[in-house]
Amino acid sequence: MKRFGWRWFVVNSMVVSVLVATSAANGETRPQYGGVLHVAMHASPTSLDPADRAQPESFARHSLTMLMFDTLVTVDENGHVQPSLATSWQALAGGQRGQLRIRRGVKFNDGTPLTPEIAASSLRAANPSWNVAADADSVVIDISDQNLLEQLALPRNAIAKRTADNRPIGTGPFHIVDWQPGKKLALAAEDNCWRGRPFLDAVEIEMGRGFREQMTALQLGKADLVEVAPEQTHRVSLDGRRLVSSNPIELWALVFTRAVASADEKLLRDALASSVERGSMRSVLLQGAGQPTASLLPNWMSGYGFVFPADADLTRARHAREQVRTIPTWTVGYDGTDLLARVLVERIALNAKDAGLWLQPTSTTKADLRLVRIPLVSSDPWIALAGVATLAEISAVKNPGGSVEDLYASENALLAMQRVIPLLHLPVSYASSPTLKNWGVRPDGSWALADAWLGIDKP
Amino acid sequence: MTFRRKLLAVFALTVFLSVGAVAWLVLALTRNAFEKTEDQRTAALVAQFQREFDRRGEEVAKRVAAIAASDSVSRMATALNGTTTESAEYFELAKSMAETYQLEFLEFLDEHGTIISSAQWPAKFGYPEAAFEGLSAASDQSAFLEREELQDSTGLGLLAVRETRISEHPVYVIGGRRLDKNFLSALDLPADMRVLLYQNRSDHFSSDALLDPSGNGPDPARPANKLAPLIDEVRQHNQEMTASVSWSSDQGDDELFHAIPLRGAGKDRPLLGILLVGNSRRSYVELKRRITGSALLVGGGGTILAILLSSWAAARVTRPVEQLARAAEDVAAGHWDARVEVSGSDEVAQLGISFNRMTAELLAQRERLVQTERVAAWRELARRLAHELKNPLFPLQLTVENLIRARTQIPDQFDEVFRESSSTLLAELSNLKTIISRFSEFSKMPHPQLQTVQVNEILRGVVKLVDAQLHAPGREPIACRLELDERLPEIAADPDLLHRALSNLVLNAMDAMPNAGALTLRTRREDGKIVIEVADTGSGLTPEECARIFTPYYTSKQHGTGLGLAIVQSVVTDHGGRISVRSEPGRGTTFVIELPDNRGAMQKGPAEQSTGGNVGQIHG
Repeated sequence: MKRFGWRWFVVNSMVVSVLVATSAANGETRPQYGGVLHVAMHASPTSLDPADRAQPESFARHSLTMLMFDTLVTVDENGHVQPSLATSWQALAGGQRGQLRIRRGVKFNDGTPLTPEIAASSLRAANPSWNVAADADSVVIDISDQNLLEQLALPRNAIAKRTADNRPIGTGPFHIVDWQPGKKLALAAEDNCWRGRPFLDAVEIEMGRGFREQMTALQLGKADLVEVAPEQTHRVSLDGRRLVSSNPIELWALVFTRAVASADEKLLRDALASSVERGSMRSVLLQGAGQPTASLLPNWMSGYGFVFPADADLTRARHAREQVRTIPTWTVGYDGTDLLARVLVERIALNAKDAGLWLQPTSTTKADLRLVRIPLVSSDPWIALAGVATLAEISAVKNPGGSVEDLYASENALLAMQRVIPLLHLPVSYASSPTLKNWGVRPDGSWALADAWLGIDKP
Repeated sequence: MTFRRKLLAVFALTVFLSVGAVAWLVLALTRNAFEKTEDQRTAALVAQFQREFDRRGEEVAKRVAAIAASDSVSRMATALNGTTTESAEYFELAKSMAETYQLEFLEFLDEHGTIISSAQWPAKFGYPEAAFEGLSAASDQSAFLEREELQDSTGLGLLAVRETRISEHPVYVIGGRRLDKNFLSALDLPADMRVLLYQNRSDHFSSDALLDPSGNGPDPARPANKLAPLIDEVRQHNQEMTASVSWSSDQGDDELFHAIPLRGAGKDRPLLGILLVGNSRRSYVELKRRITGSALLVGGGGTILAILLSSWAAARVTRPVEQLARAAEDVAAGHWDARVEVSGSDEVAQLGISFNRMTAELLAQRERLVQTERVAAWRELARRLAHELKNPLFPLQLTVENLIRARTQIPDQFDEVFRESSSTLLAELSNLKTIISRFSEFSKMPHPQLQTVQVNEILRGVVKLVDAQLHAPGREPIACRLELDERLPEIAADPDLLHRALSNLVLNAMDAMPNAGALTLRTRREDGKIVIEVADTGSGLTPEECARIFTPYYTSKQHGTGLGLAIVQSVVTDHGGRISVRSEPGRGTTFVIELPDNRGAMQKGPAEQSTGGNVGQIHG
């Protein structure tokens, strides 16, 4: 009888084990098709039309838009413009006109092909002041803005075809299956997407969920991707959750509802700006998240943000306040549903009291100044600055697209109007389940889920 | 006011005052009872508040101690260990632990009094706690009342302080519960009572500082500023006060407030709040209204009943008195036969019986007097007749005896004697006839035939008639003066009778002045009457003569019949007037006639001109 080869058996077993382990490891990292991604978000948008200007700018809206629509061009993480629905572009008429060649073979989610006419119509709907025309396989835009391509990369300029009932249809990786405005959105993968079918079969998005509720859903496995409040990012990272944050692209600021009316008011606004302890807000209230700032644009975007001193200067504040005989009581508005905003405003009121100013926090809409969150809609500083000016209802930014000196001068001019007191620049943060793979955050703060997939751990 | 009305008033007033006194007494007793009850209820509520205060204080102290001993706080104290560099991590600890331990106030302070974390005012981290010195001294003591500054207000809290000491660096835990509407709502309030809490935030009264657990906001019907005087008093004197507060014109809305100062801890024991215990006065006021209403109803009804009963009783009492009064008036008017009907046997009936006996006696006496006077008159008449007839009869007797004697003794001169005697006889017979005719005339005094006359004219006529006699030769002259009021109105009178009466008076006056004198005739109007005076300056009359001068057949003259003044009196009486005399011996006599101004009598019948007496009845 032939003796059993124990040595052969052990060696072969070890080889098989290594092969199986290697195979399993490869299964974790290799993209997989299928699965439904569950997302929760705080915002409650009621419209999915990227050109709908009645909807406030938000990172959530950008995220939703980019799931269903495409822009002509995109901006990568290095700030470079990349082709998307437009394959190439050139400047005409000495920079007064831009021509973008439309990608061939792209179809909307309803099967109709993308044409220059539809693209031009979409851009006109998003920008009524623009002069856009179709020219053979291109769209031609008469505009002197040096940041035209960055503008075209904004989600609001995504290309949409509108149906007879004015329902927008995009060319993005997902199409709408169920839409309950402000509550729920169900998307299904677009098999014929010009960029290829996404790995995910569907995405279900729950809207209007608080941050704590989202985190609970993530912990319970009911959500794969949730938003994280700035003050929670530290704790989430300590808990070992996968946390992805953008650059600081949201400006938290106090915005006065009207322009400076007198020299006394100018002094009082200066006193208020000098009295705010931004550092303690960041360290305690935001648990270290964000950056204190006295500038509109973050330092990573402008490069000169450090020039604006963000530390509180109580001496300066009191000196300015003492030059004013009558001190009014300003009401400071905040979002009543945002507990962090309330504490921030109360802290600002305390700081102001130290300087001899009187602020009355209120959650009503009528207030002398408000604590607002201003999303910087683009990584392009000029566009971001213009966005801030628009939201703060300040006059338009002059000479867009100029040098850094011009940018500094423009921002300084906006700050000199004293309509806005910058407080903090905050990143946008998301937490995901371990099963969600290959996803990220775009420079504009939106999700990048086109190439995401769910791992095998997902039941 | 009549006796009956006086009786009515006395009875009604007596009833009204009696009911009023009873009502006042009941109200006073009720008020005292209510005040006593209110005091008891207030004391019970204050005791309940104190018990609740102590119970919650113990509860707060236990919870704060538990927090101070918790692992979380110990870890924090260990981590900080006297530094604040890592305090940001514990920013929300106070809030989460306050929720866990159900405290409204919770703060963590480091050894310097800097706020590490605050549940009631999260934004206050890093700021110093103003009352740190006092609070740290209260560590490990029982709960106390403290004013807690909040973001938009100031609240009263029942606080306790505990310390967590790791190594040399303690962390103070200050926690408590708010003294607010919920606290007050936990009190078991009796009906008609409520409790308010005034938070003494500043030197001036503020309606916002008043907590009313019974309402959701300011009650316009009960503005808080009406409590300001009471609260200011308590703050000024720092002691319990009581005051009534009127919320409206309706007294039922009034409340009696008992204010109790609530003091904080420490040496100064500052006045932090005022507990206001309100007692509604509605039940008292409604009871008072019911009592007052009942008193008014009973009083009113009793008064009306008293008026009716007293009216009946007064009528029973006063009717015989009134009848007696009327009967007395009748007696005074000359109707001596007046009677009152008598029933019963009480004092008034006895009075009626006595009255009837008196009038009967008076009537009998008058009859006897009349009888006596009649006898006296007859005697006087007989005397006068004897006197009057004796004078002419005596000459007649002498003449007849002279004739007889002349027939027998001197027949030759009989004829002459006869002739002379016949003449004398005829003269004396004529005299007798005159006397008889005068008596006859007196008995036939006619009834006055009234017509409009002017008294002054009648007087002038009388003077004209006697003027010749006033200045007759051989007679001492008499001066006649007329002092007539020319404004005298005309009256209704019989001019002939009046003329005759006045003539008699004038002739009497002339007879009274044989040795010259002055005759004065006066007229005037006095008290609605026409007054005529005939005055002489003769010898005058004695009072006895004045008393009897109008008696028929009485005369003070030698040859008078005594009928002249009786006729004058008869005439004056028939005209509804009266005559009187005043005289003194040696100073003359004045007759005064008062005639009524009876021009209206011309249109009236004889029946209306007469007067009659009434017969009264006496009820006993």
